[in-house]
Amino acid sequence: MAGAGRDDDDGGEDLSAIVEAEEDAVDRSVHPSGIVPVLQNIVATVNLDCKLDLKTIAFHARNVEYNPKRFAAAIMRIRNPKTTALIFSSGKMVCTGAKTEALAREAARKYAKVIIKLGFPAQFKDFKIQNMVGSCDVQFPIRLEGLAWQHGHFAQYEPELFPGLIYRMQMPKIVLLIFVSGKIVLTGGKRREDIYQAFENIYPVLTEFKKLAQPEEGATAALPAAK
Amino acid sequence: MSLTDALDEMVNSGVLSPSIAMKVLFEFDRCVTRVLQASKTKASIKGQLHTYRFCGNVWTFIVEDAVVNVTDTDSTSRESRVKLLKVVACDGKLGANTDSV
Repeated sequence: MAGAGRDDDDGGEDLSAIVEAEEDAVDRSVHPSGIVPVLQNIVATVNLDCKLDLKTIAFHARNVEYNPKRFAAAIMRIRNPKTTALIFSSGKMVCTGAKTEALAREAARKYAKVIIKLGFPAQFKDFKIQNMVGSCDVQFPIRLEGLAWQHGHFAQYEPELFPGLIYRMQMPKIVLLIFVSGKIVLTGGKRREDIYQAFENIYPVLTEFKKLAQPEEGATAALPAAK
Repeated sequence: MSLTDALDEMVNSGVLSPSIAMKVLFEFDRCVTRVLQASKTKASIKGQLHTYRFCGNVWTFIVEDAVVNVTDTDSTSRESRVKLLKVVACDGKLGANTDSV
C-alpha cells in the first residue's frame, strides 16, 4: 500500500526516492556497511537489597519455578516484556531475554514490583546491563578458512568442533560468531554501540573473504546452497 | 481438596481425631496411586498456559480453553473442553496425586 502510494507521488523518479529512503532508514555515519545488527538478548542484573524467602515467592507469585535441589534461584517469567528472571535469596536478580535496554529495565522493575507486592521491602539498586547479543546477515557466503588463516591471532575456526568461526575482537571487546552463510552473531557487549562498532570493524574483513561465486553463476545463485 | 475440607470440618467438630483424618488422607493417596499405576488410559491436555508454578515438588498449571482428550486402552477416546482447567501434579514415585478442578 505504502509502496504504491510512493510510486504515484514520485512518478519517474521513484527509483532514486527508494534509494534515498533506504539511506534514511540506516544512518550511514554510524553504520557505514548499511547493515544494523539486531539486538536479540540482553542480560541485566539488579540488587533488590533485601533478603528474600524464595519459597514464599514461589508459593504466592505466578509463573515461578523453584526447585532448590536443582538450582538455588527461583525462576520467574512475565509475558510483557517477554523475559525470565532468576531471583536469589540474597536479593540479587538476573533478568534475561529483553530485546532492548529500556525493555530490560522495564522488565526488572516489573519483577521488583511483584516481589514488593508479596511484602518484601525490595529496592531497585545497581541496575546494570551485563551482556548484549546481536545478530545480522551480510547476505553473502564467507571463506572462514581464509579468514581464520589471516586473523589467526583473534580467530578460532575448528569446523569439527563448531561450524562457526569464533572471532575475539579486542577493541571493542566483543566475540563474534561468523558462519559460512554470512550470518553473524555478536556477543559480550555491555553497550549497543560496542556491538555496532564490532560489526563495522569486521565488515570490511568479511567482504575481503567473500566466497566467490562459481563461474557463470551469480552470488545470488550461491546463496540458497549456503543456507 | 473437598476431601481435606470435609476432614477438617469433622476434626474441628470433634467427630474425627486428627490422627484418623491423617490416616484417611494417607489411604486416599495410596488408593489413587494404585489406581493410576494400574490404569493404561492416556490423557492429553491442550490449551493456553495461563499460569504455572513449581514449588515443593508440586506442579500447578492453570490452562485456558483446555481440550482434555482421554484415550482408553481400547482406543476409544473422549474429548471435553473447559474454559479454565487447574492441574495439580506431583512426582508419581513420591505417591501420585493428580486432580483437576
